Amino acid sequence: MNERYHRHADLRLTALAGEGVVLHLGSRRYFTVNETGLTILTALEHPKTFDELVVAVCAEFDVAADEAAETTRAFLAQCLKAEVIRADGAD
Amino acid sequence: MNATNVVRPGFVVECPDQDLAEALTRWLDGSCLTWPATFRIRARIVPALTTLTDERVSFPQEGIEIQAGPPDGTVRIRWTDFPAEAVVSSDEPIVDLAVTPDALAHFEMAERGFFLVALVFVLRRIGWYHVHGAALIDPRGRGWMFVGNSRTGKSTTTALLAGCGWTVATDDIAFLQHAGTVARVHGFRSPIALRSGGHQLLSSVRPLGTGSDFSRRQKRGYSPEELGGRWTETVVPEILLFPTIGTETSIAPMRPSEVLSELVTWSHWVLYEPLHAQEHLDLLGRLAGQARGVRATFGPDLIRRPTLLQELIP
Repeated sequence: MNERYHRHADLRLTALAGEGVVLHLGSRRYFTVNETGLTILTALEHPKTFDELVVAVCAEFDVAADEAAETTRAFLAQCLKAEVIRADGAD
Repeated sequence: MNATNVVRPGFVVECPDQDLAEALTRWLDGSCLTWPATFRIRARIVPALTTLTDERVSFPQEGIEIQAGPPDGTVRIRWTDFPAEAVVSSDEPIVDLAVTPDALAHFEMAERGFFLVALVFVLRRIGWYHVHGAALIDPRGRGWMFVGNSRTGKSTTTALLAGCGWTVATDDIAFLQHAGTVARVHGFRSPIALRSGGHQLLSSVRPLGTGSDFSRRQKRGYSPEELGGRWTETVVPEILLFPTIGTETSIAPMRPSEVLSELVTWSHWVLYEPLHAQEHLDLLGRLAGQARGVRATFGPDLIRRPTLLQELIP
């Protein structure tokens, strides 16, 4: 998995009490993310590979690598669908 | 035709039409706000609006169409009920207004609609961010905001509390600003506008004076002083209350992220343009972080017992 993920230019993020609120300016939508989502989106201030994101999650939470990978995969899928992040090569 | 130039601390109105210049100046002076920097309004009367060529997606809301963001970064606001247009500069606190005689004849309606929306976008360019809500200070000196939609009891409750030792900044038009480590609210001074239902409720427990007649908005307006209270320009909120109307007054706590999410809803201009979006969002986050947030139901019992809010949130 060498694909690199990065935030969409329309994304704005702010953190509060361990959670986050994400805006997508292009679609004028917004939603909250939990602490894991916040960790991943914060890590994506600079583009990262899937493996690098899993390392970021493991560094933040007391969690096994397999579980971190599963959580990260699911969150990235949601974010890609909502177009708040992009993967290299995506439109 | 020569332009009438009105220069005030905080704003300049350039307008060839004296009536329009005076109406705009009176409205802005009446707000009693200490503006954060100088903004400029260039206004003119036009017989009709030109055909719209702006191809950006238009967002309608209550008789107003808004186009904002890329490619040129301007904000175009059109009043569809009584034609008028505002174009706010992409990055400077300047707005060009084109107002038809029909729109000028309905200036009072535009004060809380078309003109206010134009002002909201101008003020974003100098660090003030609008939130749809009331701002007050209770007798203990705590700052409160009632944030939410029309018809949720904000104005009626504000009018009620104005007569019970509370100080009022605004019942509806609040501007947030970074003030050191806190988010501070500036209240646009304008009469607390009561619909007939709210007027009737308050009249049932205490006599109300005549107030001002806003017949076009089907409301009556009262200054905090007419209700026995006082006005203040600024409030530092410690309590954020998101109201609905029900049968009995109650409150329910909220998580900080829920509070922030609600604030985005009621300060939704944060979603319209990339300019200052992060600053705006961060300021809402600061407000959500500094204040306790609760969902509240306002019931008729509050009218009979106005201390109830302070009892529920000691």
